[in-house]
Amino acid sequence: MNKVINFYKRNLKEILRDPIIYIFCLGFPVAMFLLFYIINKFSNGNTPTFEVLSLLPGIIVFSYSFVMLTLAIVVSKDKQTFFLKRLYSSPMKSYHFILGYFFVGLIVGLLQTLVCIITGFIISLISNVSFISISSVLLLIIAQLPVLITNIFLGILFGTIFNDKSAPGICSVFISLSGILGGCWMPIETMGAFELFCRFLPFYPSVYIGRIITNSTNAIGITYSFNNVAFLGLIPIFIFMLGSIILTVVAFKKNMVSDK
Amino acid sequence: MNIITIENVCKNYKTKKALDNVSLTIKKGELFGLLGVNGAGKTTLIKILCGLTYKTSGTIMINNFNLDKEIDKIKEIIDISPQETSVANNLTVKENLEFFANIYNNNNANTVNKIVDIFNLNEVVNQRAKTLSGGYKRRLSIAIALISKPKILFLDEPTLGLDVFARRELWNIIKKLQKDITIILTSHYLEEIENLCDRVAILSNGKLLKTGTIKELKQMTKAKSFEDAFIKLVEAKSE
Repeated sequence: MNKVINFYKRNLKEILRDPIIYIFCLGFPVAMFLLFYIINKFSNGNTPTFEVLSLLPGIIVFSYSFVMLTLAIVVSKDKQTFFLKRLYSSPMKSYHFILGYFFVGLIVGLLQTLVCIITGFIISLISNVSFISISSVLLLIIAQLPVLITNIFLGILFGTIFNDKSAPGICSVFISLSGILGGCWMPIETMGAFELFCRFLPFYPSVYIGRIITNSTNAIGITYSFNNVAFLGLIPIFIFMLGSIILTVVAFKKNMVSDK
Repeated sequence: MNIITIENVCKNYKTKKALDNVSLTIKKGELFGLLGVNGAGKTTLIKILCGLTYKTSGTIMINNFNLDKEIDKIKEIIDISPQETSVANNLTVKENLEFFANIYNNNNANTVNKIVDIFNLNEVVNQRAKTLSGGYKRRLSIAIALISKPKILFLDEPTLGLDVFARRELWNIIKKLQKDITIILTSHYLEEIENLCDRVAILSNGKLLKTGTIKELKQMTKAKSFEDAFIKLVEAKSE
């Protein structure tokens, strides 16, 4: 475990000393929150998706895609600068590397969640809307852990497979997918077959479950509840989580002893 | 006593033979040079010895450990300073050294300070690696490789891209290290090999042409200088 902690500390320092994390992981979700709050305010509150309690789970899930981007950049740079190659000849094993990156992603992701929650709380105070209880906040954090884990492992995977120029490009596709197919700012429940498609991916079910916890209302005025969408949504959430873990472990082990 | 024994090692890529039946031995405490033009197979051989790539066939014993079966034990006693100055760019010099020392459970203030002194890194010890000059980065890269107190150190093109002063300074450091550990150095600078190495292996197109001391290689080819000897050996092979 010492090697994991040692590598985790190095990764955390490396990430915290790079301004990109403050722009993407902390600044961007807050900016999105404020933007949609302003849009909703100027549309006289006619957009339920933009209400603070509906927006909160969406922004949290969307923001995790920036954790993926950050990790993909760090891993691909470590690979590109041959820093990882050098470590591969040390007694470190693949799980030391993967866990060292994972824990940094987890910390950054949880910090992002807190920033989103605090921003949501401040906006709820400004707009005179009652916020969720502490227990709901904790439940919301726990409920979004699987999609955070998926994003962390996808970040490590993309950084392992692609170089530092192509990895951010691949991540930007996933960032767009997470935003559009997660229903963060789009009333997916009114889109028929498109909604059905979104249920097979982890983003929309994660946002949906989050909205059940925040007790928010969808675009057609119905309060989110634990129905089939949420229940069956757990399947893609966990399949994607396990799939990303397995693929990352396989790809990283292969990368450690390359045949190039 | 041989610390590395390489027997009939081949490395085949899809379209190229990177190493073709290479056999050689390296003695304990030796500063051994791998010399060859670009693409000769020097870096491939080092990568195989460090467990970074697979060999296609052959046997390698390092400190009596079989590379195929005991790579974990081998990784405890070797270290490498790769061609690229692969350091953690956002960490300071001291943090880099501490990070690598921790991997080998070897982090104490004395070890780090000693290495900082040996490599004259005192004035940049709290500077982030990305702000260092090429010479300092290269020094840090080799210092990192030594923090683990390896029995065998691989230096892959250690002075690549350095000016003449920085190169001479590194040579002096490498000469001092030689007393304690076995060093395998690759370079395509002939003067570097001539100045530093006890024995040399000359590789060309993946094949081992000759092994011996500089003097032996010169006598073998009846050449006046080591450069002439090297050219004669490589040209004789390609004819």
